[in-house]
Amino acid sequence: MNPAVDPITVSVIQHRLRAIVEEMGEAMLRTSYSQILNSSRDFSTALCDPDGRLIAQAEHVPIHVGALPFAARSVHEFFKGRIRPGDVYLLNDPYRGGNHLPDLTAFVPVFDGDRFVFWAINRSHQSDIGGATHGAYNASATEIYQEGIRIPPLMLYDQGQRREDVYEMIVLNVRHPRDFRGDLAAMIGSARIGERRLAQLLGEFGSATTHAAVAAVLDGAERQVRAIIAGWKDGVYEGEAFLDDDGHGAQDIHIRARVTKQGSDLEVDLTDSHPQVKGFINSSYANTYSAAVVALAYLIDPHIPKNDGAFRPVKLKLKEGTIVWPRPGAPVTLCTNHCAQEIIEAIIRALAPACPDRAMAGWGRRFRIAVQGIDPRSEKPFIWHLFQARPGGGGSSAGDGWPGAGEWQAAGGIKFGSIEVQEVRFPLHFRCHEFRTDSGGDGRYRGGPGGELELVIETTEPAVANTAGDGVKYGACGLLGGADGKPHRYWLQSSGRPDRALKTKETGIVLRPGDVVHAHSGGGGGWGEPRERTAEERARDMALGFVSPEGR
Amino acid sequence: MFRIGIDVGGTFTDLVSVDAQGRVALAKAASTPADQSLGVMDGLDRLAETLGIDRATMLARTERIVHGTTVATNALLEHKGAKVGLLTTEGHRDIIEMREGLKDDRYNLRQPPPTQLVPRERRLGVRERIRPDGRVEIALDRDSLDAAIAVLKSQRVEAVAICYLHSWRDGTHERMTSEAVRAAMPGVYIALSAEVLPQIKEYDRLCTTVVNAYVGPALERYLNRLETRLREAGLRAPVLIIQSHGGVATIAEAARLAAGGVLSGPAGGVAGSQYAARLLGHGDLIPFDMGGTSTDISLVVGGEAAIASDRRIAGQRVALQSLDIASIGAGGGSIARVDHSGVLHVGPESAGAQPGPACYGNGGTEATVTDANLVLGFLNPDNFLGGRSRLDRRAAEAAVDRIADKLGVERMAAAEGIYRVINTHMTEGIRLVSVRRGVDPRRFAILSFGGAAALHVTNVARQLELKRVIVPRLSAVLSAWGMLACNLRCEVARTHIGDASRLDAEAVRAAFREMEAEGRQRLAAASFSGSIRVRPSADMRYGEQVFEVNVPLDHVDFGSSDLLRQMADAFHVRHEGLYTYSLRDQEAVLINARVAVIGELPALPQEPALPVHAAARPSGERRIYLGQWLQVPIYAFDALASGQMIDGPAVIESATTSVLLRPGDRMRTTEFGWLDIQVGPT
Repeated sequence: MNPAVDPITVSVIQHRLRAIVEEMGEAMLRTSYSQILNSSRDFSTALCDPDGRLIAQAEHVPIHVGALPFAARSVHEFFKGRIRPGDVYLLNDPYRGGNHLPDLTAFVPVFDGDRFVFWAINRSHQSDIGGATHGAYNASATEIYQEGIRIPPLMLYDQGQRREDVYEMIVLNVRHPRDFRGDLAAMIGSARIGERRLAQLLGEFGSATTHAAVAAVLDGAERQVRAIIAGWKDGVYEGEAFLDDDGHGAQDIHIRARVTKQGSDLEVDLTDSHPQVKGFINSSYANTYSAAVVALAYLIDPHIPKNDGAFRPVKLKLKEGTIVWPRPGAPVTLCTNHCAQEIIEAIIRALAPACPDRAMAGWGRRFRIAVQGIDPRSEKPFIWHLFQARPGGGGSSAGDGWPGAGEWQAAGGIKFGSIEVQEVRFPLHFRCHEFRTDSGGDGRYRGGPGGELELVIETTEPAVANTAGDGVKYGACGLLGGADGKPHRYWLQSSGRPDRALKTKETGIVLRPGDVVHAHSGGGGGWGEPRERTAEERARDMALGFVSPEGR
Repeated sequence: MFRIGIDVGGTFTDLVSVDAQGRVALAKAASTPADQSLGVMDGLDRLAETLGIDRATMLARTERIVHGTTVATNALLEHKGAKVGLLTTEGHRDIIEMREGLKDDRYNLRQPPPTQLVPRERRLGVRERIRPDGRVEIALDRDSLDAAIAVLKSQRVEAVAICYLHSWRDGTHERMTSEAVRAAMPGVYIALSAEVLPQIKEYDRLCTTVVNAYVGPALERYLNRLETRLREAGLRAPVLIIQSHGGVATIAEAARLAAGGVLSGPAGGVAGSQYAARLLGHGDLIPFDMGGTSTDISLVVGGEAAIASDRRIAGQRVALQSLDIASIGAGGGSIARVDHSGVLHVGPESAGAQPGPACYGNGGTEATVTDANLVLGFLNPDNFLGGRSRLDRRAAEAAVDRIADKLGVERMAAAEGIYRVINTHMTEGIRLVSVRRGVDPRRFAILSFGGAAALHVTNVARQLELKRVIVPRLSAVLSAWGMLACNLRCEVARTHIGDASRLDAEAVRAAFREMEAEGRQRLAAASFSGSIRVRPSADMRYGEQVFEVNVPLDHVDFGSSDLLRQMADAFHVRHEGLYTYSLRDQEAVLINARVAVIGELPALPQEPALPVHAAARPSGERRIYLGQWLQVPIYAFDALASGQMIDGPAVIESATTSVLLRPGDRMRTTEFGWLDIQVGPT
């Protein structure tokens, strides 16, 4: 602990920082315009110092957070010496600290007198970012230029004045300019609330005390994480996870983690992972780092602040040219899901023997569908994204996995919304949406079941669908003897034709009026030996219908 | 004739009566959690005793009883509700367990899934389907319904919740199902989503209906028992139950719409705050009720309490209109601890009433907020609860010392740290509640009630740059008085989706007319015959948004030909007020039409003023710690004279509360004996 500041002040400031990022998030939720932000909450808020050290973050989307420092550093390096009060900066380029192109980030600098001392940051997933397909997920892309507009460190506001030419150039490049303008205004407003509150904090405690307390907060988190890691057995641990394919010929794509645990340090070596691929499952460096620290965040105590200090014990080793650190220009849009999830899974699998009670079995993989067509009731074009049929969460030492709670990288942070509202808004009929029997992996603690959706297309003209995802071959991993969750199974039923399986990376699928999409999503992995599951628990599984007599 | 307010809390049942001349009588009895009606009857005995008449005479001369109860709240909080069965549209029985895909506590992946109010084997699909336009695609299938009912019967459920998709559009299938259930299972409690919450969004509607079925039987039993006892004791007047939205309902209606009563208890405090706003002539208040384990915070803006409809209570979604009360896990019993990195945390764990803070001497050893307050000298160990119990200073010091050791600081620094950290939490609670609604808290006054609040509010106010704190004379009187002041409020809502520029104005007009008629009918059923106020509003949003904004339509002319344009205008203005901008070139969509039909009760007589006497002198002096030890005067709350001014630092004590005036604070006693504090500079 820094001797210059008393522990009470440190405690007060730690709680205050947390309150600031939460307030930034609350403002974003209430004011944003797109459904992906105001319902699905696909955004994150954070504070960094000028060196890009993460000071505080609100608990929104885990995969965003570890990448923010890279982006903050990129902006600072580019504009060094020119950053002034009232400025606002943007960035989305995954080769400069973005996760993927749809995740646009706004930065507002915070000043202490005339000294630039913090960044207030908002990263939000845009409903569209230009490129070849709507909604940014382009499975056909083989280079980043087909995925959308790339924004390097860019000044949008110069001392309070918006640069209209720059603004209009960006707006011109996205499909829903109206929503985009509203969402961007909300992002900047949210970051400005952070700026205002940090200025108050500095005014209240003074510069020296605030900075000393922030340093102490980071050191404190580091100490807590090191105390936990130190309790694990030293050794070199290996874990592996697989993606089905990249949609362009590569299959069984491995992520290999070699984790050296010594004392309170972790070295995560991913250099032996698959070479970079043609399709959009490559993970930018920042996204890979973020996935690695998410894995750590899941293994430590949940309430330790996730800041720069907490992540100090991790050293990451990557090799350029691999899927986890592709050369600039490779497409990456799916990476926040895949291969981020496989990176998390490989690291947690590796460390499971070191901390069996902390490691959890695999959470489900993502398989999304975007449908576009004309609504015959309004004769207006529509685009709809599938968020239903959530996969299951993994089992852990605490008990069975959460049913339908989603994927590793969001862990229940993203919502799917009302079926009634969607039937009103889209020419779609949700005939059935329930848990999928026998989908969770068996184990001492069973994986949570995935979902089962039967969706009828009620257009009068054919509609078009794209898919983006993985996990039709590989299910969420079981752990410590537990079985894997069942993988996804999606298929298209079209009258007069044989059923056809949907692949995870397709563009231009024609859906005829009356066609039925069947989406059966994967369950979570099981934890621990199945033979240790009690007879009462098995009887309960059957009574609930999570397990059928055949699936025993 | 008397009016009687009854507030049943966790420890005490408070009663207040007022007669036509405005004379007030108070009584207090121990609460009886197993059957709250026993404590109520005991309290009525004591109230009659205070009035110097017998209970039967008092009840015979009573024109109305208003009652706040925690029966529904406790059933939900303690998981002691009914065994519920749920009937849903076939293929959709997991809506409640899917939670729209959300899981709280993001980084806690080692967490068992939540316990279900209705486990999956009691959630049964019935073959039927109504489409969003009202078309019946699959008629209600009797065989499938009978089979489902047979299962619920064999499971011996006590309550049945019914929620079919799109029943917000047409509730016929739900009503047919209800009749079949009633015939097959006489005596079972039934909740229909089309009656509980006839609104689009199936998760909200279904969860609310399930909560209704879960708490309904216990609430219905209690209310019936209470009514029987009261009738037998000679009461002829109506008994009205305070609802989560701050209005009241008859016993029959409260029992039927049980989910509307889950905040009945705390709603009394908010009603009291609205009453206080009128009394003080200051409409913007932050009611701040600090108890042993939690602090309830809400907002009164322009004399009206803020309403929300997106609440979770005890982890369950209750989407009914309800007072926006935030509960922060911070109270007098909150426990202090130091984590591995040497950071001090206080709460949300609480020592509760048992064992309680270390200084209670009931076996508690962990340092709590109350222990810190005692060590700091803020509490008088000999005058706690009016001297009925003594506090053990040594035990408090020992507990605080253990925290000090872990922090590596002196005892007083640790005690002050506990005090500051808990204040930070409560400050954040106020900030989130106010700022979340787009409201700047600085123009508000904090209304402090609950025994522990007044030691903390002057510091919390400073952190928020608030200038004014008000401490009422007796908070129990405040809640019960507020209950007496509650109007009779019927909420009617209907989903009526459409772009405001393209809807049929006559259809919208008719919908509002029908809802008003329904509300008036319900008031008549409660034998109300006074003056009625009708408040229409609409939940609206821009086309692509999903968060609706409730738009008051009081000033819209419903007879006008441009009704829909007026509604759209009202929405744009409201959106701008809340979120700083509006988008006038975009369509404003109507989602829910709402009408509150309010039966206005006659105004309360004024609270009696303090008798005029000379300013009270301090009853003594004590050392308190405010960064350094200061010798400060102590005053008896009850002895203060109207208009008396006291400058901080000072402590004002009564049997139920202690008030800390910090240096720079200036307190003036109002004519009712309330403390009106101007908060000094930071």
